Amino acid sequence: MKLRYLFQILIYLSLIFFLFEVPVFAGEPKDQLKQTTDKVLSILGDPSLKGPNKNKERRELIFKAVDERFDWEEMARRSLARHWVQRTPEERREFVQLYRELLERVYMDKVEGYSWNKLFYESENIDGDYGNVKVKILTAKDQVIYVEYRFLKKGKNWLIYDFSVEGVSIVNNYRTQFNDIIMKSSYQELVKKLKAKATQN
Amino acid sequence: MKIIFWITLLLALWLNASFYPCSAETLIPVDPINIPISVSQYNDPILSTAPMRPPGPSEFGEPPDTVANPLEPSTSLYSTDPPIFMAQYGGVAQKEVSTTPSEPAKTGEPAETIADPLEPINRAFFQFNDRLYFWVLKPVASGYKAVVPEDLRIGVRNFFSNVATPIRLVNCLFQAKFKAAGNELIRFLLNTTLGLAGFLDPAKKELSIERQEEDFGQTLGLLGIGPAFYIEWPILGAFSFRDTFGFAGDLLLDPQTYLIPSIPLNLAIRSYDQVNDTSLKIGEYEDFKKAALDPYIAKRDAYHQNRQHKIKEK
Repeated sequence: MKLRYLFQILIYLSLIFFLFEVPVFAGEPKDQLKQTTDKVLSILGDPSLKGPNKNKERRELIFKAVDERFDWEEMARRSLARHWVQRTPEERREFVQLYRELLERVYMDKVEGYSWNKLFYESENIDGDYGNVKVKILTAKDQVIYVEYRFLKKGKNWLIYDFSVEGVSIVNNYRTQFNDIIMKSSYQELVKKLKAKATQN
Repeated sequence: MKIIFWITLLLALWLNASFYPCSAETLIPVDPINIPISVSQYNDPILSTAPMRPPGPSEFGEPPDTVANPLEPSTSLYSTDPPIFMAQYGGVAQKEVSTTPSEPAKTGEPAETIADPLEPINRAFFQFNDRLYFWVLKPVASGYKAVVPEDLRIGVRNFFSNVATPIRLVNCLFQAKFKAAGNELIRFLLNTTLGLAGFLDPAKKELSIERQEEDFGQTLGLLGIGPAFYIEWPILGAFSFRDTFGFAGDLLLDPQTYLIPSIPLNLAIRSYDQVNDTSLKIGEYEDFKKAALDPYIAKRDAYHQNRQHKIKEK
């Protein structure tokens, strides 16, 4: 008797698990990230684009490849957080542009400055329209760097809205800075600083 | 008999529902990636550092916050429109919890930013450390880098890291991470022998056993002790109040402390370790500063995020 009930429970259990199984869309953000990364790496490795006089051309190509993968507005919005609400549409547009330029410079420094020896795609998680991909980077100096990209699905594309290096999220880091600057002075001051950064580099 | 069966079935259903996000939790939109949404902080003018939810694809580009009406009977409660719901929830919750706005998030996540009551002093010491880097550490490390080949410098770094194994091993044990402790032990035995006193790292190269970055500050953090507040120590750099004690604890676990009791010699060797380490990452601090609008805040926040991440790991 007991055994029969046990079997029944087991069958029900497996049935329940089966019914509630979450559909898995495998591979999407990871594949798209890989596409972008491969594109960037091929630009970096392209011998016809080497040399100091080709620097500008190469940068533009990399920007183009990276641009498609990032959701700048989303990143800017999250970085301004509640201050975003108070901005007019023009201010927002200007801010997104400034923020994007800042991040592109940061990204370029990372891409050009460090020697990425090897890249491993460690894991991928998808939950509805959100996804994240963890990447392990082995540098030429034998250091391991963990990077996590966070994605939001827009149409068919998985776009990056945040990434973190060793647990430090870029959006969180900028949010803390922006908030501090705005609270201590004003939004206008923040824009001034962003513009000064743009000319500085 | 039947009663037991039905209870088990109900239990299974309930457990199952809480395991899968698609069943029960779709009713309350949860950001699967940015978990630390603090509802109470969402609309708070001072504390709000909580991440915003992104807009749904339908209203891309539209600020969800302006659409939100906290009093409107919501049809979006069960819809796929989480931003509005969050904003509404935030609006309502704000009124309810406005007496305790500093209450940490209900998700049990640690506070997103670290307190900084010593900011003026910290900023002064940040300046000091910044100059110390550009005026002393970087020139010395650059000169050293020009003379010593990179492989050797990596070897020296590995050597110091291998000597410091007890810090990581004991803290792995403190945190009941026995597998990690075992890995550290294997690494130590292998690298000390085959790796020529730790200069080489065959454990990582051949067996892919990586260093377990555990320290006493993380052990304290795992015990539930918060970072308290930020301290920028001269020379030593970024610490929280808690991790200052963590650092002291690590010094007690560090064989260097006992092997080289002479304080000047000990400091000299530690300085050399620092110079060697810096020689392998010249340019990183410069890039970091280039990316920051306020390097002090950026450093403080990066330190805090990194520490929280390390404590949360595994």
